[in-house]
Amino acid sequence: MERKSAHRIDQEAAQWAAKIDAGTLSKEAGAAFDAWLESDVRCPGAYARMRAVSLMTEQARALGTGFEAPLATPSSRRWFIAAGAVAAVLLATVGYHFAPSATEHYVSTIGEMKTIKLEDGSILTLNTQSEVTVHYTRTRRQLELIHGEAIFAVAKNKERPFVVTAGDTNVRAVGTSFSVSRVGAIKILVQEGTVEVGKNSTEASPALRVPHNSGAITQEGAASIRTFALSNAELYRDLAWRDGHLAFEGQTLAEAAAEFSRYSDMKIVILDKKLAAEEIAGRFRATDPIGFARNAAISLKAHAEVSGKEIRLSR
Amino acid sequence: MVRLTDERAVWLGKEILPHEAALRLWLQHWKRRGLEVDDVIQEAYTRLIAADTIEHIKSPKRYLFQVAGSVVIDHLRRRKIVSVESVADMADLEIAATEPSPEREVIGRDELRQLAKAIAALPSRIRDVFVLRRVHGLGQREVAKRLGITESTVEKHMSRGFMLMTKLYGNGGNPSLHSSYESSACADKGNNGTQERS
Repeated sequence: MERKSAHRIDQEAAQWAAKIDAGTLSKEAGAAFDAWLESDVRCPGAYARMRAVSLMTEQARALGTGFEAPLATPSSRRWFIAAGAVAAVLLATVGYHFAPSATEHYVSTIGEMKTIKLEDGSILTLNTQSEVTVHYTRTRRQLELIHGEAIFAVAKNKERPFVVTAGDTNVRAVGTSFSVSRVGAIKILVQEGTVEVGKNSTEASPALRVPHNSGAITQEGAASIRTFALSNAELYRDLAWRDGHLAFEGQTLAEAAAEFSRYSDMKIVILDKKLAAEEIAGRFRATDPIGFARNAAISLKAHAEVSGKEIRLSR
Repeated sequence: MVRLTDERAVWLGKEILPHEAALRLWLQHWKRRGLEVDDVIQEAYTRLIAADTIEHIKSPKRYLFQVAGSVVIDHLRRRKIVSVESVADMADLEIAATEPSPEREVIGRDELRQLAKAIAALPSRIRDVFVLRRVHGLGQREVAKRLGITESTVEKHMSRGFMLMTKLYGNGGNPSLHSSYESSACADKGNNGTQERS
């Protein structure tokens, strides 16, 4: 077979990127995609490049739904950007300004991890089944974690505070990277920099400073916030989902099964009480509960059986 | 094969692509030895994304150049080309890798403005699709309906759009933008007059 040109590979990569951008691939398409990736050492890299461009251009949402294409012929480049309720402005050689649009909504489905680059350079990473709204104004960056879990890598800007609310809890950040989850308790993990965690209630004490390698946990409706330390290893494990993995070190099989249930329709059911209490360790693909269950069965000398949407573990 | 995560892809776009232009410049050295710049870049990215973790990388630019350098070495070895000149050219790598990139560090609004300009400069049909998909956030089916074209045509336009946009992200900005748009606009004329219905 003749060797393809790099340009041809780029074209194919762009086609795959467009297909994947449009929605999840069918089983056949997925297989064809995998085959293409393996056909040439240049394919995975070319695709990654196109995928990066595909994701980076998502930032264009911030241009607002009033954005219009050029009205004139290609020779002139005058065009208008309108953003929400803000007046339209002319982008010309003279100068310009525009304001971000109203609230943006980001949602992920079950088993889906989504990374979004926001208008100010901050990066939002959604975990499975999560929903975040983003409302940027000139003076404030306001986000709300409606449900699920997300990581916020915040671009430094002292003039524009970055605040994430999760229920009655708010987290304020300046140039940092932290995650907030709202699956049961409200939990904040700080990877880099420092955040301030507060509660929206009149009797609430002043905001708590939570530095990197620390976490904070609170309940909706409760006034107290508990902080705790986190080693790099623990942080790495807790945030393994960013790479599509789940990492465990001493959690019980039951806890692991509960965690996996967030990422797919398949439910791991443990039929033996003693088995459920066994401690496990390891790093697994988040969207592969069957693989995990089979692995666990081998190490714990148990038996795994797939039946419909259930994976039954017994001893 | 482990699939590329969005997080890794965004890291590539944010930390690596801005340095691609500088890398292309350095790779010019090797064209006379029969190496294709585009081949090396694609293969370098393949190695980059295969890395287990990127947390430890302090200088993405340096990392990119190191990986590209090793791709070049592998290619030369395969063709049994190892000469004194090769070694000297490889020494330039460290210099090129640690040179501060020209002020292309676009942050926040500036980046958004450049993106807006790039979208506005797209050939009309591709731009229509791109704006509806990216700015308005409409799904493929909805875009096809609104423009009166098939979904596969929407996909075709998006893929051409990506090809053009890599010039913005990968080639360090605007200079090559216009020339590539012209050649693409010619190719696009074929579709502009006809309206396909699904």
